[in-house]
Amino acid sequence: MFTRHLSKLSSAYCHDELSSEDARRFAEHLIACQSCRADFDEVKLGATLAQHLDVLSAPPSIWNNLVAGIDHPPRALNRFRFLKPLAIAAAIVMLIAGSLWLSRNINSSSAQSWQVARLLGTPRIDSKSVSDTGKLAVGQWLETDSTSRAQLNIDDVGRVEIDPNTRVRLLQTNPTEQRLELAQGRLSARISAPPKIFFVNTPSGVAQDLGCAYTLEVDDAGNSILHVTMGWVSMQTSNDEPVVPAGAACATKRGFGPGTPYFEDASENFRSALTRFDFDSAAESSSKHSAVDVVLREARARDAMTLWYLLSRVNKDERGRVYDRLMALTSAPEGVTREGMINLDPAMMNRWKARLGLSWAEAIPPKHSVWTKLWTETLGRLNGLQGKR
Amino acid sequence: MMLEQIVATREQPQVRESIDSQTIAACQRGDRNALRMLFDEYKDRVYSIAIYSLGGDPAAAADATQQVFLKLMTRIQQFRGDSEFATWLYRLVVNTCRDEQRKQRRFVPLADSFLSSMKSEGSPRTNYARKEISDRVQVAIGELKPKLRWPILLKYVEGLSYEEIGAVLGCSKGTVASRLNRGHKALSRKLDDLRGQMTFD
Repeated sequence: MFTRHLSKLSSAYCHDELSSEDARRFAEHLIACQSCRADFDEVKLGATLAQHLDVLSAPPSIWNNLVAGIDHPPRALNRFRFLKPLAIAAAIVMLIAGSLWLSRNINSSSAQSWQVARLLGTPRIDSKSVSDTGKLAVGQWLETDSTSRAQLNIDDVGRVEIDPNTRVRLLQTNPTEQRLELAQGRLSARISAPPKIFFVNTPSGVAQDLGCAYTLEVDDAGNSILHVTMGWVSMQTSNDEPVVPAGAACATKRGFGPGTPYFEDASENFRSALTRFDFDSAAESSSKHSAVDVVLREARARDAMTLWYLLSRVNKDERGRVYDRLMALTSAPEGVTREGMINLDPAMMNRWKARLGLSWAEAIPPKHSVWTKLWTETLGRLNGLQGKR
Repeated sequence: MMLEQIVATREQPQVRESIDSQTIAACQRGDRNALRMLFDEYKDRVYSIAIYSLGGDPAAAADATQQVFLKLMTRIQQFRGDSEFATWLYRLVVNTCRDEQRKQRRFVPLADSFLSSMKSEGSPRTNYARKEISDRVQVAIGELKPKLRWPILLKYVEGLSYEEIGAVLGCSKGTVASRLNRGHKALSRKLDDLRGQMTFD
């Protein structure tokens, strides 16, 4: 066995993978064979170097994300004053992520289905049980009962976790639009694709991803509640499209459209008064007036976001006091007047929105905007693909 | 070199913590505490293998690690004990990282920022020289062909035997030995200038 060179056994010898008899023979051979000894020295150096591979600590967030697949994710409560830098940081992240996403998808064909992974129980696709994994094709329903959960994985777009007692249907999947229908129940989405690619239709509105993570719930009556945990989401209806930042929520009711977005750490009185104002159709104007009273009284500096939205939702007679409370909570930007705001001057409204740090308009690109152009041009320069899109 | 010196260069087998069958059975019943034990036992090694195999991208490694444990949660009922649990788990790791590499479509070299931020909690390797060596080894391993890199990661991060590595990678023990030999030599050639700084126990 050992009449020839034995260099192939060097690693096995180093790792004690030879029988004791073979190991002794190998060692004896090395003493006699200069060539194998040199080879062994080289392997030994490589093995010694490889021992410098450290075992790294996994980030704690991994477990938290796993648990979030079972429990409901904690809601982020960002402080108002941090929103502006966060908006800038998120914009940069989205630019980079968007560029990477486009670079991967610029020439790729679209998938016609989404991957489904069973998390708990027995989810069903069009009444057929999902054992461990499956595919959800366009038009198919994914349903969970009270004991089952599932996860949808969309390549290069993100993940959507489907909670118990939920019905979702895949409506569209192509590189520029991924659209899901949430008929009932609850889902949690974590999206890494560029803004305005991922949509969820509900009976009372459409949640449009603007680079974010969020939870969306639809009740038996078709009303929905959106909780945003990262980035922004807009809630579209035919008449309105409020943008909801991280830490905030927005309820949507059939026949009413989206309510006024609010931060979830606002007081109970603030939130219930806002609900009365948004959705109480039977309320007299005096009742609406008193609801606005409570909202203004309970508003903190952080709730200036809600007041900014409220300005365009109250009637003109109410606007003056909403404006005054907004002024008390934040300083007015240069060039903004009370009269202009009461008349909802678009330029002044936008200036104040930027002052509030809710700069989603600056951070989030409208479709086919300068941002998309910038992504494409950047990619073009990087990949020599300029002009292909 | 004397016979005793040569014999002394052999490594002692690494002792690995293992998850017992009761813990695995509890995981199969959906016991969250058992899953946490299993996660705590393997998370750092899974994450380390992921980060070394995914070009040093911490976000991709965290994502891959999460996917591994998610798959584990959904598939652990399929584990019948026919193989070592670690072998079964590391098949998931390798397949998940390979999928992730395919998605990345290109190899991203280990980033300087990643290298400068890497540290092993509780590691005795705190002096600058050892850190520098460690960084260079990681870069060199990142440059190896995947078929040479995987056996090295499974051997040195997880401490699997040749037989276990073969079971994970779907090849024979002899192939593992051959690939490790080639991998060691490639490392040695790339980092020959560090020879003087190595301590051969």
